[in-house]
Amino acid sequence: MKTNYPLIETEQLSKRYGAKPAVEAVSFQVQGGEIFGFLGPNGAGKTTTIKMIVGLLKPTTGAARVGGFDVQAQPIQAKSITGYVPDEPNLYAKLTGRELLRFVGNLYQMDRKQVDRRSDELLRLFDLQQAADDTIDSYSHGMQQKTSLAAALMHDPKVLVLDEPTVGLDPRSARLIKDILKQMAERGSAIFLSTHILEIAERMCDRIGIINQGRLIAAGSMDDLRRMSQGETSLEDIFLNLTGGAEYSEIAEVLA
Amino acid sequence: MNQIAGESMRVSVSSSVWTLLRLRWMIFMIGFRRASWVRKLIVIFIVIISIGGIGAIIYLSRYLLSFLKNPLLVEGVGNLEAVLNSVPNVLITGAFIGILVTSFGVLLQALYLAGDMDFLLCRPVPIRALFIAKMLQAVLPSFILICAIALPILFGLGLAQDYSLLFYPLVLLELVVLSLAAAGFSSLLVMAVVRVFPARRVAEIIGFTGATLSFICSQSGQLARWDNLSPGDLSQVLAVFQRFDSPLSPLYWAGQGLVSVGAGDWLKGVGLVLVTVLAAGGIFAVSMMTAEKLYYSGWASMQARVQKVKRPRREKIGISLPKIAVMERVISPAAWAVTVKDWKVLRRDIRNMSQLITPLIFGIIYAVMFLRGGGQVPAGRGEAPDWFMNLMGNFVVYSNIGLSLFVGWMLLGRLAGMAFSQEGKNYWLLKTSPIKPVELVTAKYLVSFLPVLALGWGFLVVIMLIQRASLGLLLYSMVVVAFSICGNAGINLAFGIAGARLDWEDPRQMQRGSMSCLSSLVSMTYLALSLLLFFALPFLAEILRAPEIIGQTIGLLLGGPFCLACAVIPLWLVRKRVGLLGESTG
Repeated sequence: MKTNYPLIETEQLSKRYGAKPAVEAVSFQVQGGEIFGFLGPNGAGKTTTIKMIVGLLKPTTGAARVGGFDVQAQPIQAKSITGYVPDEPNLYAKLTGRELLRFVGNLYQMDRKQVDRRSDELLRLFDLQQAADDTIDSYSHGMQQKTSLAAALMHDPKVLVLDEPTVGLDPRSARLIKDILKQMAERGSAIFLSTHILEIAERMCDRIGIINQGRLIAAGSMDDLRRMSQGETSLEDIFLNLTGGAEYSEIAEVLA
Repeated sequence: MNQIAGESMRVSVSSSVWTLLRLRWMIFMIGFRRASWVRKLIVIFIVIISIGGIGAIIYLSRYLLSFLKNPLLVEGVGNLEAVLNSVPNVLITGAFIGILVTSFGVLLQALYLAGDMDFLLCRPVPIRALFIAKMLQAVLPSFILICAIALPILFGLGLAQDYSLLFYPLVLLELVVLSLAAAGFSSLLVMAVVRVFPARRVAEIIGFTGATLSFICSQSGQLARWDNLSPGDLSQVLAVFQRFDSPLSPLYWAGQGLVSVGAGDWLKGVGLVLVTVLAAGGIFAVSMMTAEKLYYSGWASMQARVQKVKRPRREKIGISLPKIAVMERVISPAAWAVTVKDWKVLRRDIRNMSQLITPLIFGIIYAVMFLRGGGQVPAGRGEAPDWFMNLMGNFVVYSNIGLSLFVGWMLLGRLAGMAFSQEGKNYWLLKTSPIKPVELVTAKYLVSFLPVLALGWGFLVVIMLIQRASLGLLLYSMVVVAFSICGNAGINLAFGIAGARLDWEDPRQMQRGSMSCLSSLVSMTYLALSLLLFFALPFLAEILRAPEIIGQTIGLLLGGPFCLACAVIPLWLVRKRVGLLGESTG
């Protein structure tokens, strides 16, 4: 169920750390019902861009809008429709999983009955029921990652931003996340995810953006990217062709 | 296959230990080289001061220990030669126990909770080498500290007693071997404990117990009645030294060996020192051998530890919901959720508890001191006029409020001063939530204000009930305490926002030192000013023989607005910083 208006929109988004540019003039749009994959080599500016979209970082110039709300000028409105899953699941270690979900529900001003129902649903969905009343410091990395995702889904967000969501997850949980993301997109939410796993991006995403050295060097569907990359067929080849690194195969041959 | 076996590395324990220790030294040197000039100068200054301090301890020890042989002192408290001979034994026992106790926590951290264990254990490093390197690194700071105190005192003793030259190197040798033995023994204890209890929990409990005990010890000296000390008490204190002289203790052999060598009794002295070295070496060797078996299996089992199945907690719906409903009418549900979350986290994290319990211990000790004095004005020779006695009576009563506020001030330093910092790396969750900065500040304000108010009032009510103060005075005191805490919470929270750190790993690094110092100074000045505004008029009324209620009312009219202004203005000044917090977390 795609909408014809963007739920995520960045306009000449830039971030500088002193004199060093981390992100430079990045502009793109993600429609409702769309899954947008955000790819790039290490240190390309993916996490910085994501942090500006969710309001964790203030852009040096440019703007990020979520649901039409400027993240800096109307942060409460923008954040109330956004769910965010960071790359590292830093969660309150001394709260239980259930308490964390309830806390998040309260932050989003949800009705108490709704909070209880939703947290039970999510704990069941992510197979966290057994550990729901244990403090988070006893959870494995994968369990913390699932708790983080459950927290992001508590308020049924219209926009979901995920930074490397499948890292540390077992195949079953990774599959569950993919299914959830697809369902959310079908219901009209905009999904923005960064990943290093090109297979996920190729199979799941409607459109893909590639960022390199802080600049968005390509954005579009797989077909668009193929056209841009002079007929390369796989996303891996397209990615390496655009970001550099195809020459490493020769070095690997020497080392073998 | 044979080729692979032939190519496999042969790694010796000593070379691995050397490699690991050299790495630490390199890290230290790189850190020093890259540090700013100011930091380098501070380090050099500290080293010079420490060396000077050691020299001063040697000189002072020599002087003081020589004084124990002074004929006038001997006449008063008896011959102290036996006490002097017990000094090495006392110091060596103290050093051994000190290293045994302090190295437990440090070894636990180094052997089981260090971040580099995964990295090192998957390399071809013998487990024994890893154990030795970790143990030496862990015990080195305690050893240096103990050497900086025990070594110069023993050298001072040697000079005071004109001991032979061999005494000095043997002191160093004994301290080294006994430190290694203590650390080895401590490591065995650590390995045994970790097999039963989770290492992280043990570390938390040790941190809490250590901080609490050291604070109790440092403050309990206040309860002693030093003014009544007699020569008899002094000789009793000195006699305690001789209780360490137990012929069955290897530590006694160590001390006695040093005394004998110093006095020229070579056969006995060298024999006892040799026995000590062998015993210490034996303990160290046993810990080495046991470590090889216990250490790796303990560490490996820690990685695979399965959580016990817990019964689900029963929700206290009937109790907590009405309270929350009342609060949610006053502030937003999101702000109240943050407040409740903070209280839960503070209560459950034992590392926080040690910081929170300190003001309580302080309050209890000083309240006992205060009440032990009777809380009454001394009658003196009975010549003072009535108005002066009434004035002093009021002063005693109002000092209850001061004491209560002082305890609150200490608690606020932790609760309000670190309200934002305690979020640490979890702050992304609040920053990406639709909660307004003003709601967040309100929530953090309540986190500190409400418990401190409850504690301050509780403390006040108990003391005033014991002193049978009037209801009117109690009510006035409660209002003063509420206003004063209100302003103090605002000041501390504002400094907490200005100096917030969210990238800490260790809770002790939560707030920037400079901001913490400044916060203490400003809030202390505020406390003094607010007390002056509240109490000056009641005192003046007493002097002018006007009704006390008039003085109290004017005091409230002056102090109340001042406190409210101090609660609001500092927070208003830092309001823009709240939005900028956590720019780099997530």
